[in-house]
Amino acid sequence: MAKRIGKLVIYFLLICIGYIYLEPIFEMISKSIMSASDIIDPSIEWIALNPTLDNFGVAARVLKMPGSLINSILFSAGLAILQTIVAAMTGYALSRYKFRGKGFWFTMILLAFIVPVTVLMIPRLIIFITAQNSLGMQLIGTPIPQVLMAVFGQGVNGTILILIFWNFFNLIPYSLDEAAMIDGAGPFQVFFHIAMRLSVSTVLIVFLFAFVWNWNETYQTATYLGGTMDLLPLKLSTFDSMFSSNASSGMGSEGMYKINEAYKMAATLISIAPLLLLYACVQKQFIQGIENTGITGE
Amino acid sequence: MSGKTKKTRRKSFQRRQDKYGYIFMAPWIIGFIVFTFIPFIMTAYLSFTDVKQDIRGFNISFVGIKNYREAFLVNTEFTPALVSFLGMIIPYTVVIVIMAFILAMMLNSIVKGKSLFRTIYFLPVVVLSGPVMYQLMNLEPAADGQINPLYYTFVIRMIYSYSDVLADAMVSLFDNLSIILWFTGIPIVLFINGLQKINPSLYEAARIDFATSWQILWKITMPIIRPTALIVSVFTIVQLGAMDNINPVLTQIKEKTANTSGGFGYAATLSWVYSLIVLIIIGLTFLLFRERKIKETHKYW
Repeated sequence: MAKRIGKLVIYFLLICIGYIYLEPIFEMISKSIMSASDIIDPSIEWIALNPTLDNFGVAARVLKMPGSLINSILFSAGLAILQTIVAAMTGYALSRYKFRGKGFWFTMILLAFIVPVTVLMIPRLIIFITAQNSLGMQLIGTPIPQVLMAVFGQGVNGTILILIFWNFFNLIPYSLDEAAMIDGAGPFQVFFHIAMRLSVSTVLIVFLFAFVWNWNETYQTATYLGGTMDLLPLKLSTFDSMFSSNASSGMGSEGMYKINEAYKMAATLISIAPLLLLYACVQKQFIQGIENTGITGE
Repeated sequence: MSGKTKKTRRKSFQRRQDKYGYIFMAPWIIGFIVFTFIPFIMTAYLSFTDVKQDIRGFNISFVGIKNYREAFLVNTEFTPALVSFLGMIIPYTVVIVIMAFILAMMLNSIVKGKSLFRTIYFLPVVVLSGPVMYQLMNLEPAADGQINPLYYTFVIRMIYSYSDVLADAMVSLFDNLSIILWFTGIPIVLFINGLQKINPSLYEAARIDFATSWQILWKITMPIIRPTALIVSVFTIVQLGAMDNINPVLTQIKEKTANTSGGFGYAATLSWVYSLIVLIIIGLTFLLFRERKIKETHKYW
């Protein structure tokens, strides 16, 4: 009996806290379909009286859809693929080879995560601007800096991606490698045909993480890319300032703020939608994958 | 096989290990040296200089501790920002780690609706960070007179009609609570992972010895979960530090970094001081979670 009550209490708490989790998203959805009159009406809380999709139209225009959506997907996916490949290679080296200095590099990989990115921004900028001046080609304002950093394993949260792979490769029995090597496979063949083939689910998780993190990373992207490429999250973060130039209304600041709120919520929903869609599609593999392969790495 | 050939064989084995290990590691090592290690050292050097950018490139001149003096003595914003950063990061981290642990315990103990709840609780992993979260949390400074949307909710309105002070306190608590909850995404994942690795027979053995749930929590679960808690804490500190809406120091550094005309040296000073403080906090976290009696307990298993 006491056990049953305990279970009920747990479910109750989980539902309550789950509500707090989801409340912002519910609010976003309900606000984004409200028309101007609903938004100003203080008696309307959740359900819009005159639901409208106009907000999405305005938001899409300000966000420069669909160009920015395609750009964002290509940009994040490209960086995520590069990051995944490098993380797999690094994780494989750490898991399979006993090279000298391994402990040292492992520590460095952990340290690379702890160092705040802000402390590296200025020298990185100086390096890129100097390179750009001496090479005579445009670097800042193009995706090249971030592509370079992804290729060389210094993308967003690269350490965690490496640790996920390292942890998974550690679970693959070494005898599989040996069997392949006896059959004449070289190190790279073992890597591609044994390790990578077995870690499809891990590759999926790492790619997802990398995609989401690159999607949400606006500080570095804003610094290196500037305004040269329309990306959804970047457009969203400058939404407020852009909006005042795109729309104006004769209402008081309070009413104006609330109406902007509706547009802003619609815009947020648009920019979050690809991530939510992705999560909905691979949610099952994602959750099982994280739980089974583990990223804690003990 | 004679001793000599064995030795050379071992040597060639080691050479092979070195060769392929470093081939696989090469991209990361190059990137680390060029994009992380050199910049890190360079920031330390730049913090003692004045950086001017002209058409030909950068003009770096050594100015001693001028930037540091300016940061701590002349600039009246930096020290308070540091203090409020510490006042944010320590309690937030503690609450997030504890909340994540409790939620992970609860999520781990249920069977029905398990996947539904996990889908909800892992959601922040996907959505968290970036401008999306700022918009969701209405974290923009309230300076422009906007009203916290929580005040529109029914319960808060009801409380507000009794006592506005209580309502204010509730609103700020809930505001922070939802932020805190949204940071628990990956920590919950990590904790669930750690909890699932605990051998169930340990719990069984404890129950046979009439251990209460409370004792099991403190004597079995907590010690085993300690390394995970360390990872979660470090992750949370890094994660919180990167959110500029709740980290006033970061906002200042970003402002100075964006000012390319002459602020680079000074910005380097600020970010160097800041990262040293972050590293110290993480170092203290390591000390806090260092393995103390764990080794002795391991002997008995």
